[in-house]
Amino acid sequence: MSDTATLKVPGQAPPPQAARRRGPGRSSWSRRRDRRGLAFIAPFMIAFGLFTLVPLGYAIYDSVYTTRIIGGTTFTGFGNYSQVLTSGPFWGGFARVIVFGAIQIPVMLVVAFFFATVFDLGVARLGRTFRTIFFIPFAVPIVVAAIMWGFLLEPTYGPITHLANALGFGGTNFLSSGLMLPSIIVIAIWEWTGYNSIILYSALKSVPRDVVEAAILDDTPLWKIILKIKLPMVRSAIVMLIFLNTIGALQLFIEPEILSYQGGSITNTWTPVVDIYNTSIANSQYNLGAAMAVVLALAIIAVSVGSMAFRRHRGELA
Amino acid sequence: MSTTALAPPDGTETTASRSETRRQRRRRERLEERDAAIPAHLYGLKRGTVPLITALCALFAIFTLAPVVWIIINSTKSQANLFGSFGFWFARPFEFFHNFSLLFQNVDDNGTYFQWFGNTVLYAVLGGGGATALAAFAGYGFARFRFRGSKAFFYLMVGALLVPIAAITLPLYLVYAKAHLINSIWGMILPSLVSPVGVYLMRTYVELSVPRELIDAARIDGAGETRIFFRVALPLMVPGLMTVLLISVVTVWNNYFLPLIIFTQNRLFPLTVGMGVWSQVAERSGGNTNLYPMIVMGGLVTIVPMIALFLILQRYWRGGLLLGSIAN
Repeated sequence: MSDTATLKVPGQAPPPQAARRRGPGRSSWSRRRDRRGLAFIAPFMIAFGLFTLVPLGYAIYDSVYTTRIIGGTTFTGFGNYSQVLTSGPFWGGFARVIVFGAIQIPVMLVVAFFFATVFDLGVARLGRTFRTIFFIPFAVPIVVAAIMWGFLLEPTYGPITHLANALGFGGTNFLSSGLMLPSIIVIAIWEWTGYNSIILYSALKSVPRDVVEAAILDDTPLWKIILKIKLPMVRSAIVMLIFLNTIGALQLFIEPEILSYQGGSITNTWTPVVDIYNTSIANSQYNLGAAMAVVLALAIIAVSVGSMAFRRHRGELA
Repeated sequence: MSTTALAPPDGTETTASRSETRRQRRRRERLEERDAAIPAHLYGLKRGTVPLITALCALFAIFTLAPVVWIIINSTKSQANLFGSFGFWFARPFEFFHNFSLLFQNVDDNGTYFQWFGNTVLYAVLGGGGATALAAFAGYGFARFRFRGSKAFFYLMVGALLVPIAAITLPLYLVYAKAHLINSIWGMILPSLVSPVGVYLMRTYVELSVPRELIDAARIDGAGETRIFFRVALPLMVPGLMTVLLISVVTVWNNYFLPLIIFTQNRLFPLTVGMGVWSQVAERSGGNTNLYPMIVMGGLVTIVPMIALFLILQRYWRGGLLLGSIAN
């Protein structure tokens, strides 16, 4: 898969072998350069240490203590964890984000792949215009997106509720407990489809033209070109998108939080992060909240390690 | 993945493109794109397929634009009409300018929208700009130096991407409570400086566009490392930097969880938190406040600069997403 025509590198592009070769006389410089290299990454690593690693360590530390108004802070070991792990509502929230991801991610990726293919093949009129339009939601902060959709879905005045009534679904309440999850799935699809589609479109553009031309000369039907040639070639991009979207889905927070302000039936434990927020900030049970956050982190790490193991098993990673 | 996907963002300037106007460039890009694609008729599509697919695109475009159209139309309405008139058409009186003027006022002490707007710009410029600077240094360091622990640092940073925001933000709040950073703008700006994604993208970009030979040649000429970075590497990194800047600014612009927790005074809120608080107050009052038109207008004013920014800088983020798509 090489196409030198699109490799636009300012200055002189080195051949790949040269890039990997170490220059002569490296040893004489290497020690001094050691320190120089460290100096370049130091500002970031200091900020990273202070604002990512320290808080993370503090969360773990906090999660094994319990603070009471009377009696102060005591070491309780895995006490908070056993409370979290046996909490029905916490797992209920977990199950909800898993259902959310299991529906939203495949639907979104199928739609995104469809449009990416359309743009790549150039088989729609005004392709560039549509591409730009589809990307617009990415520029809308999720808070504002949730507020807009909250208005549109409002049970009495919302235009979409009116539409549902006109279509014969009288008395539909999109913000009721039964329809809350489907509504948020639609909102998330609205937010992310264009973004995912553009990434897939970029990946599709890298499928070499001659392969597709050869297939056309062989009278391969278009659907076969798409599913048998193009799809396998962008598989790593799709796997990455599934992975990123899953991590995002497990942390679902802003949409339910904002919609709860707008009359949506969102419980205090609706998703794990909603639960963490309410437990720690509203109820001031920081230790318990910290334990929940650590459990969520472990779940996400498990998903990542699992997907990496799966890809290695399939031979996609060295 | 292929070398094609590794091409730097479209924003890479060639000597030829520097002299042409924006209009010429757009035209050239359009033509190049058309030439790169295989003509649609070669696929042997049936008649009517192209109109059908175009119709599907149009349908999805309606779905995409509906909320945006709604917010534009309803920014012109009074609170009564917001609920009493058809959502997708205008209604008298025309309140656009009145609603807009409300954004400068602190109505019922619920906070002033344009103060939040200013805060958001401040946080986005300092946080996003700072994050880009740190990412440029670190990305260059990771890509062009090999030193003890560099791999370990890099994997540590990538691994941190997996940690949920809540698991970092929540303890940050507790640390702030001790360090007197609650209700301090630094409490918002300093954590925004950390952008592992930015470092990752910069490292990839440097690998692709700053040739090792060029750096070695500068070293042989006796240039110091700082000078090499600013004079040789940085100019070549500009398109990548623009992408990272855009991503970092957007991240800070959209940030909700951190400011929600660390700010209790509404004069410090960014837009996201302020808008959230407004909708909460409006809902609780049962519509007795006149906040709804302000929420709608506020939403519009929040998204317009972002959409404009994305449209103007299209060629940068497209390239950046391309870089993102090789993250595996």
